[in-house]
Amino acid sequence: MRLKKPAVALATAALMTLAACGGGSGTGTDPGSENTGTIEGGNAGSGKNPDAQAPAEVPEDATEGGTFTVLTVNVPSTLDPTQAYYTDSTAILSDLVTRSLTQYAYVDGEMVLIPDMATDLGRPNEDNTEWTFTLREGLKYEDGTDVKAEDVAYAIKRSFAIEELPDGPTYQTTFFLDGDKYKGPFQDGTDYAGVEVNGNDITIKMRRPFTDMDYYASFPAFTAIPEAKDNPATYGRHPLATGPYKFADYKPGTSLTLVKNEFWDPETDPGRIQMVDGWEFKFGQDSAKLENVIINDTGEAQTTLTYDNVTASGYRSIQEDPDRLVTGTSPCTFMWFLDMTKITDINVRKAIGYAYPYRAAWKAAGEIEGVTRVPGTSILPPGTAGRVEYDPLGIKGVNTDPEKSKELLQEAGAMGYEIKFLFASDDALSVQAKDQLVNGLEAGGFKATPIASTLETIRTDRTDYDSPINVRSSGWCSDWPSGGSWFPAQWSGDLVGLEGMPNPSNFKVAEMDALQDKILDTMTPEEAAAAWGEFDKKMQTEYYPAVVTGYSGTAMIHGSKVGGMENDNVRGMPTFQRMYITE
Amino acid sequence: MGIQPTELVVSNTDEPEVKSQDVAGRSPTQIALDRLRHDKIAMVCLAVVAVFVLIAIFAPLLTDLFGVELEGGDPVTDTKADSFPAIGPPDYGFTWEAPLGLEPRTGNDLLAEWFYGARTSLGVATFATVAATLMGIVIGLVAGFARGWLDRVIAFVIDIFLSLPFILVALALAPIIVSRFGAQPERLEFVQLCALLFVLSVFGWMTLARLIRGEVLSLREREFVQAARVIGVPTRSILFKELLPNLVAPIVVSISLGLPAFVTAEAGLAFLGIGVVGIPSWGQTVNRAVEFFSTYPLFLYAPVVGICLLVIALNLLGDAVRDAFDPKTRR
Repeated sequence: MRLKKPAVALATAALMTLAACGGGSGTGTDPGSENTGTIEGGNAGSGKNPDAQAPAEVPEDATEGGTFTVLTVNVPSTLDPTQAYYTDSTAILSDLVTRSLTQYAYVDGEMVLIPDMATDLGRPNEDNTEWTFTLREGLKYEDGTDVKAEDVAYAIKRSFAIEELPDGPTYQTTFFLDGDKYKGPFQDGTDYAGVEVNGNDITIKMRRPFTDMDYYASFPAFTAIPEAKDNPATYGRHPLATGPYKFADYKPGTSLTLVKNEFWDPETDPGRIQMVDGWEFKFGQDSAKLENVIINDTGEAQTTLTYDNVTASGYRSIQEDPDRLVTGTSPCTFMWFLDMTKITDINVRKAIGYAYPYRAAWKAAGEIEGVTRVPGTSILPPGTAGRVEYDPLGIKGVNTDPEKSKELLQEAGAMGYEIKFLFASDDALSVQAKDQLVNGLEAGGFKATPIASTLETIRTDRTDYDSPINVRSSGWCSDWPSGGSWFPAQWSGDLVGLEGMPNPSNFKVAEMDALQDKILDTMTPEEAAAAWGEFDKKMQTEYYPAVVTGYSGTAMIHGSKVGGMENDNVRGMPTFQRMYITE
Repeated sequence: MGIQPTELVVSNTDEPEVKSQDVAGRSPTQIALDRLRHDKIAMVCLAVVAVFVLIAIFAPLLTDLFGVELEGGDPVTDTKADSFPAIGPPDYGFTWEAPLGLEPRTGNDLLAEWFYGARTSLGVATFATVAATLMGIVIGLVAGFARGWLDRVIAFVIDIFLSLPFILVALALAPIIVSRFGAQPERLEFVQLCALLFVLSVFGWMTLARLIRGEVLSLREREFVQAARVIGVPTRSILFKELLPNLVAPIVVSISLGLPAFVTAEAGLAFLGIGVVGIPSWGQTVNRAVEFFSTYPLFLYAPVVGICLLVIALNLLGDAVRDAFDPKTRR
């Protein structure tokens, strides 16, 4: 999944949504010290619990009533469930408004996949080409009408309408039956062979094995949408609520007010609670101002929170009251993608890795090491199944070594090699980071040429094959808990030349492509997970097409009466579904 | 213009005083400067402005004198893990190593930044004032003296420029320049500076041009101009030799009030992220310092005090100049 903003000026909510983080290792942090300490690195996931029982437990210190105010710099691009693919819009919809077939619940510091509208996590057939979900009884929309299995089937069909509803997740086109041919109900009608409804059972047919359907079913796209009420142009202004809250007032770009949905029944929902009366989201706020409000913690600010990463100044102020800081991880890796077609010598590429001023660039870009940016060397972030820890340069991803860089450049006969990279000239942090990158690269024997762009245009400039740059700063976030959502999506030779530059390094090596095909075509999920970890190591050790510049972290602040706010490490967002007001 | 009876009386009462001073041959400018010299506020403001001008001119020397360096910070060694400076405020006491402290995140010295910020501020404001004034004078003279269609065309152009929203044009121009010159970092800085000066000058001349046009309209019917035309003095000479000397007062006043306006405009544009990347500016410093207001106020105060002091001094000085040149005021 793609990062939408330049990595140097990255806000958490601008990351595209990340689903799933099961598999792998433990947390690396204990929840008790999580609020004040720094993070060891990366997220974790304890996987799935198909037996989670409704209703969800209401914590003892929770009181009923009150309204949460959520302030944020960011503006969600859309709140249409089919289009929701950013962390903020998916969290707001999935946690509060639109229920899906499956959902995530916060259990002891980790996000666990549990059933939602379905009674379990889906039942695949033997070769994972058919998944069956059974809808619960007693589900109702906000207007009191019953949720039918047909509505879920319609929502699935709707997700194929990429032309009418762009920017949403697109795994259905890759894996579902006829996914490459069916263009959604608006063009091809509702006759689609890939989804079958039988009573309360919804069966999804695949055209190739899809082992992660249960994770994918947690996306807001797998909610229920009654066909009669759907208008693709306007549905996002008021998606019909199946969850504990419904839209009362939505001003796109400015604010969203949610109120209780009285037709939501806790007996049908193992993950959500409905303690507060409503939610008031205010978008496009000023960062310094909103931090000031929350830190001062007077009056209404006590029930106010933000999902933006805290600034260095706010991080310091909140240390006096560390309980109001929520830290954690989100499974994203930031990288400097080295253009393989331009920087052809591996010694030069490795020299960039040695010369990159990791700590200086992070600080200048406003990141706090160990809190909002976690050093690392593997492309796969911690918590991914089968991940292999390795260190191709031996500098632990932080210890810049200009001498070693010069040595390598000397060896390659490329002293003074010119590195061209983009920065946003209208963003103070981006400019500061650029200055540090120039210093670092020049200390390492390179000639650094920063190319100016603007916040508005930097993304298109970066994904333009003709841009006069040979390094691209970007990143990637997990969709699935294994490398299967990483390497075929960004490091496959087939992607070179495609619109939008999905392979930012122009990495096309026959040997590695053959290895990918082998993993995809012949291995079981368990074998594949381990194989992707080895693929990661092999690619970085033998080709070094990208400098890993750390993993993302989350640090959010909230008022003193906000209860139950933890980090949803699948998205790097607050756990809205279990939040309440204390006292 | 007819003489008001009251003014007549006032000037009559003053007459004996003037005579007793025995300074018969003084020009209006000399009188004005003499008045200015006796204005205490004006002199204090002049001193303040002079100090700023000296800082601006000798910024490199001053940074050397204080042993600080512009943009010489190393985030790794000069700031702590939480990005706050490792020496000086806000966590430690005053140190001569960094008299105004270091910038969080980058560790750049704020005193050096402040000195060079003064340089940018005054340099840009001075250039823009001179350019705008020259444009205003020439266009105003021509418009006022040329009767008929040329006058109407110029008046129309002035109206157009007055109706263009300055901030919008500046906001629109900035990304265009970045996308056009982004790939040439060495030229980008120069082009951005030129664009900034251009925008400020192009939106600063209209008021003066109108003022001068009005003055010229009344002056051109006066006897000395008529006489000059009759004996065949070329138009250019009439404009610059006959009319211009009579317009010194409004021009000086316009300059003295234009300077502080341009200082504010430059800081404002820099705060909005328009302006010159890579050249220190108070506005940019303020932009970065806002979020540190509660944890590191000095970071914000230094550039704000700089802007306030300079603008207030220039404004008061401008007021005093206007008073001094205005024959209607008496002190």
